Amino acid sequence: MPSPPPDWVKALKPSGPQGSELLQQERAQSNVNVEKLSELLHTKEALERQKSLLALLEPEKVFDKSQNHSLGRVERLQRSLGKAKRLQQLAEQHKWSFEELHAANELIGEPTPYGLHASMFLVTLREQGTPEQHKLFLERAEKYEIIGCYAQTELGHGSNVRGLETTATWNSSDKTFTINSPTLTASKWWIGSLGRTANHAVVMAQLYIDGKNYGPHPFVVQVRDLETHQPLENVYVGDIGPKFGYNTMDNGFLLFNNVKVPHVNMLARFSRIDKETNHYVKPAMPSLVFGTLTWVRSNIVLQAGGVLARGVTIATRYCAVRRQFQDRDADAHAGENQVLNYKMVQIRLLPLLASMYALHFTGRGMMRLYEQNQSRMKAANSPGQDSRGAGPEELRAGANLLADLHATSCGLKALASTTAGEGLEICRRACGGHGYSSYSGIGAWYSDYLPTLTWEGDNYMLTQQVARYLLKSARAVLAGKAAGNDTSQILQTYLDRRDKGASFDVLEEDKDIVAAFAWRTAHLTFEALKHRDAEQRSWNSLLVDFWRLSTAHSQYLVVKNFYEAVSSPQLSAALDPETKGLMHSLFRLYALHTLEREAAEFFSSGAVTVRQITLTRTTAVMKLLDEIRPHAVRLVDAWAISDWQLDSSLGRYDGKVYEDLFRRASEENPVNDLVFDPYPWNSALLKNEPAKSKL
Amino acid sequence: MSDHNIDWVDRLKPAAPDGATTITTERSRSNLDVDSLAQHLLGTDFLERQDRILAQIKLDPLFSKDRQANLGRPERYMLGLARSKRMRQMADRYNWSEEDYETAKYLVDDISPYQLHQTMFRQTLLEQTSPEQKKYWMDLHESWTIVGAYAQTELGHGSNVSGIELIARWDPKTKEFILHSPTLTASKWWNGSLGRTATHSIVAAQLLLPDVVDGKGETVYKSYGPHMFVTRVRDPETHKPLPGIVIGDIGPKYGYASMDNAYMLFNNFRIPHNAMLSRYSRVDPETGKYYKPENKAVLYGSMTHARKRITMAARLALARAVTVAVRYCSIRRQFHDKEARSPGGYETAVLDYPTVQIRLLPLLATSYALHYTGERMGQIYEATRSNVDGGDLSSLIDLHSLSSGLKSLVSELAANGIETCRRSMGGHGYGGGSGLVQLNADYLAKPTVEGDNWMITQQMARYLIKKVTLISCSTTNFVPSNRTESVLHEYYMTKSTDPKPLDIFSDDGNIVKAFERRAAYLSFEAHHAHHVQKRSWKSLLIQMHQLSHAQSEMILVHNFFDSLTADTTLPPATRNILWLNFRLFALCTTGKSTRDFARASAVLETQLDAIPDTIVNIMQEMRPHAVRLVDAWSIPDYLLDSALGRSDGRVYEDLFNRAHRLNPLNTLTFNPDYRTDELVKGSNDGGAILSKL
Repeated sequence: MPSPPPDWVKALKPSGPQGSELLQQERAQSNVNVEKLSELLHTKEALERQKSLLALLEPEKVFDKSQNHSLGRVERLQRSLGKAKRLQQLAEQHKWSFEELHAANELIGEPTPYGLHASMFLVTLREQGTPEQHKLFLERAEKYEIIGCYAQTELGHGSNVRGLETTATWNSSDKTFTINSPTLTASKWWIGSLGRTANHAVVMAQLYIDGKNYGPHPFVVQVRDLETHQPLENVYVGDIGPKFGYNTMDNGFLLFNNVKVPHVNMLARFSRIDKETNHYVKPAMPSLVFGTLTWVRSNIVLQAGGVLARGVTIATRYCAVRRQFQDRDADAHAGENQVLNYKMVQIRLLPLLASMYALHFTGRGMMRLYEQNQSRMKAANSPGQDSRGAGPEELRAGANLLADLHATSCGLKALASTTAGEGLEICRRACGGHGYSSYSGIGAWYSDYLPTLTWEGDNYMLTQQVARYLLKSARAVLAGKAAGNDTSQILQTYLDRRDKGASFDVLEEDKDIVAAFAWRTAHLTFEALKHRDAEQRSWNSLLVDFWRLSTAHSQYLVVKNFYEAVSSPQLSAALDPETKGLMHSLFRLYALHTLEREAAEFFSSGAVTVRQITLTRTTAVMKLLDEIRPHAVRLVDAWAISDWQLDSSLGRYDGKVYEDLFRRASEENPVNDLVFDPYPWNSALLKNEPAKSKL
Repeated sequence: MSDHNIDWVDRLKPAAPDGATTITTERSRSNLDVDSLAQHLLGTDFLERQDRILAQIKLDPLFSKDRQANLGRPERYMLGLARSKRMRQMADRYNWSEEDYETAKYLVDDISPYQLHQTMFRQTLLEQTSPEQKKYWMDLHESWTIVGAYAQTELGHGSNVSGIELIARWDPKTKEFILHSPTLTASKWWNGSLGRTATHSIVAAQLLLPDVVDGKGETVYKSYGPHMFVTRVRDPETHKPLPGIVIGDIGPKYGYASMDNAYMLFNNFRIPHNAMLSRYSRVDPETGKYYKPENKAVLYGSMTHARKRITMAARLALARAVTVAVRYCSIRRQFHDKEARSPGGYETAVLDYPTVQIRLLPLLATSYALHYTGERMGQIYEATRSNVDGGDLSSLIDLHSLSSGLKSLVSELAANGIETCRRSMGGHGYGGGSGLVQLNADYLAKPTVEGDNWMITQQMARYLIKKVTLISCSTTNFVPSNRTESVLHEYYMTKSTDPKPLDIFSDDGNIVKAFERRAAYLSFEAHHAHHVQKRSWKSLLIQMHQLSHAQSEMILVHNFFDSLTADTTLPPATRNILWLNFRLFALCTTGKSTRDFARASAVLETQLDAIPDTIVNIMQEMRPHAVRLVDAWSIPDYLLDSALGRSDGRVYEDLFNRAHRLNPLNTLTFNPDYRTDELVKGSNDGGAILSKL
């Protein structure tokens, strides 16, 4: 690393007031109880876990983050594998639970090459394997004797799982399957942990028996030698190359040239082939898989709040420290104004501050619903009950909660991850020029997060499922066969009151805000139903309408969940009245800011008047910005994201923004080790080292 | 890599229909005349030059882009420097003109460590030096005896130039200026080409001249605001910073990896009197007296120059992303359409989904909209340039306001558009093979550099409010001096008569009028809020931002309309397709702000409600021409550097080639067992890479 700067540089301080003083002032002007709010958000237990893990991980050299942004891809991946190994050693040594390992990984802050082994490979073996297969694969995988991944998407197919091209053909003669890639587009692609790390894969392949296709099924296939780690014969596997982000993960490709695997390698908990009769045995309970997906998506919603919180924490603290221009209306001797005092900065950051709370509470609400439903399902599976789970196509009384949850999880996943992903970029830009530096801590975090917008269901694709569900619900309501869930209720309310009109008092009554969002959703649902059923328009031509409908419905759910959370007795018990009042202001800011942006739909559905929209824009939102502004720093402090996790000069808790930017640039930047020859006529590049030939 | 598998792997083909077949079919579905349109957009000169320079560039392996995405930051900068040197050498070898050289840089597509030497350093020397200074410095500059940079922004100050902290204190005894950084935040920061490359730099500093002597016998200095100086910063032999100066690269960034953005601090560093650039203002070396510039507008000069090209560059950056996305989405198929089985039983092309069209086709139209305004801005810039040279600085202020508003809108449209294109391609858009990774990362600097996009819209708004003041206070025989004034004046004259909303569906000219009316309405509204209601400027910033965008959108729409109306060169069928682009751009823009158009009484309410359906219909009409419309931008495959956007459609073959042939990671075999610290199998490295920490 470069030699430290001379003494006269070390003696320099930023011009006053210092960042640390500004953040102290910020914290002094608000009495939000940060500790209580943190506990409400994360629980005491999780906060303590984070503290002890931090003490363990931060001092270890292997987890150093200072060179992350300067290294090339090959070196980064190697270091990341080093980190993954060390984490696993620590997990063994300290007997970490799943939650602890997960929390440790979050603190490390980057995906590692063990990522897919520890998640999808183990989960799939556990959920889709029989007891015999657990013994054969899962037990060894849990001990890391075999390392695996989950190989579903292909070069030619992502969202459309039914279109996968890899085949698994049953050979009744020797009771094996032949796994084959008939085309180049059949190559598995994007498979995390497969590129250089895994020696096994769960491969999704089209099952063929006697020439008949039974759709995609999971097979365990060994892909590399356990000794040499070289690919097995007729297996072609490698890393797919550098990406927008996620460069510490070895996403892989995989091709098979007629590779045989034994009967036991088809994961057979739900469907299987009878070895004796060669007959296919249908899945017993598809809804269980369905449930896992719902759980995964609910988790994405919950995490989206935390993901966004990282960007908002950095931008809010930095904009409180950064000062630029004197206020035109202030007296001439006043110093420069904190950037966070500018309305055009507030209008970008404070609604995001509200959004991160909104998403967090919504995620919590969904997890609770999911757990309630799981226990209800278990009860329903007792003898005498219909044991089949419901799909979104069916609205039977016993299953309507799951159907509702599934459809809502699709839409919310899309809205939440889009809000978080785009929100991070807004935070980065709100930091002005310095936001573009890697030391801002936002850029890499954003690029690593972006795949969430396309995986577990592409955000645009998912909106169709929501629309399909809403249309079905609307038809049921019209036919007088409404299910007893919330979606049916808001549709019914709309029908009952449609002729009388709405007249919601969104500027004064919080519950009327929720009602206005419900009204708009119901209105758009019946509009879409008219296009589809009365006008017989094609599904494809309505996709843009469906996307708008899904977004509206998901926004309604966020507003509803947020409102329920801030009105809940738990929240009142946990917080002092003033902080509780602020939570209500955040709710109103999220809701009214959304209402203003989607003004056209609210107006044309008759949920609000033009006058109300104008007042929302010019008065209500502006007032809320003023109300929340003094508390902004404490409201991000409450998320309790450690400096080590933020890894940001701009977002430091102590406000020493400029000192840290300068320290990293002058002491942690490998480019400054080299002295160059700048003249075009001299082919030598370096003055202090012979020019390297590897370029 | 394990070679025993190659045989059967090489025999594999993509599933039918392959990309090459699909894209040929796409092109055969449209009668758009690609050659005429390409000439209309870019001109024969540009196209000929592009071919010629491309052929020269491709001969040199240094310009291969195959593996650059894998490099670490120090190597990436070195590659950038090596390429910049080579291009400068080639300029001599091939006798390149300035345009040839620009074309080479455009095709190689690296942010060059020489960039500031060739732009801001040069421009500032040209515009702000006295005649003697100009001769001296331009000789050194053009002979590359020196390599220059431009250091204005600091750690603590970017947008607010008058707040910079570096001082240049005049020492009357030695007749020198003393450059000094009193604080850490006074450190120069972000200055391109300075971190490792430059030998010299333009330096902006607060000019301090001795004012009076206080009671204790100390000299009190008076500040005259930021001024420009030029100085050597590195030793000509060792290339190390001179004593009293500390310089370095500021570290890794979101993009711009090949550029050495700098920090720089001075410790009482002395520079001679003639280091101060003194075309407009100067200090008399004998008396120490300050002579101020006649017109403040001169200081805008270089910045406005930097903005001159921003619209033209934005259109090509966006066109590049749109080219990749449109071609790939016409080849990529996903899901069967259950209601309309496609021929051959194939899955539906992704570009046939309205949810994909609504993201891509408006951006395709936007690339054309930007083109016509960029062209117009170039003409205005040249006219202003000759006015300024002739001593008339008034039009420079107009241009500066106009360029501020446009820079904000245009760079935002392009930056967001590139990312929208990337995401429209689903998972593969995230991969290095999309060709949009570096483009996105490099381009994302634009919204915050050369004037933060949110800050600079104030200039446009302030300009418009001034014009409203002028018009409302004027007598009846007001004569507008430019288009902005006549639009505002016309609105002023008719606003009391309550004008009827316009029918924009049956007359394209009314679209332009609707945009004018909305911009004028918002201008008067902002004027009212600030001057009549006396609301503070700060409380109106969000409204000012919206006003600036409305005005800039109006400019994009009317330039698009004027150019198509005036065109006589394109075949009518092709021109009609451009009219579809015009309508799509205008209606999508209207659709995003229907409330404003309604309040301004600019468009019929029923039509505002019908915009979403109308947009879907226009997109359907445009859809068959999409591939040819992007082909017309003539962006070579070498520049696209994209498996997904290849003009021959061989998407999957190229993606696979990049992964299995060009990926250096696949030459290493790892040891995945966590119980051992060995990382590379058989190397017995014991985690040696960690010892480098």
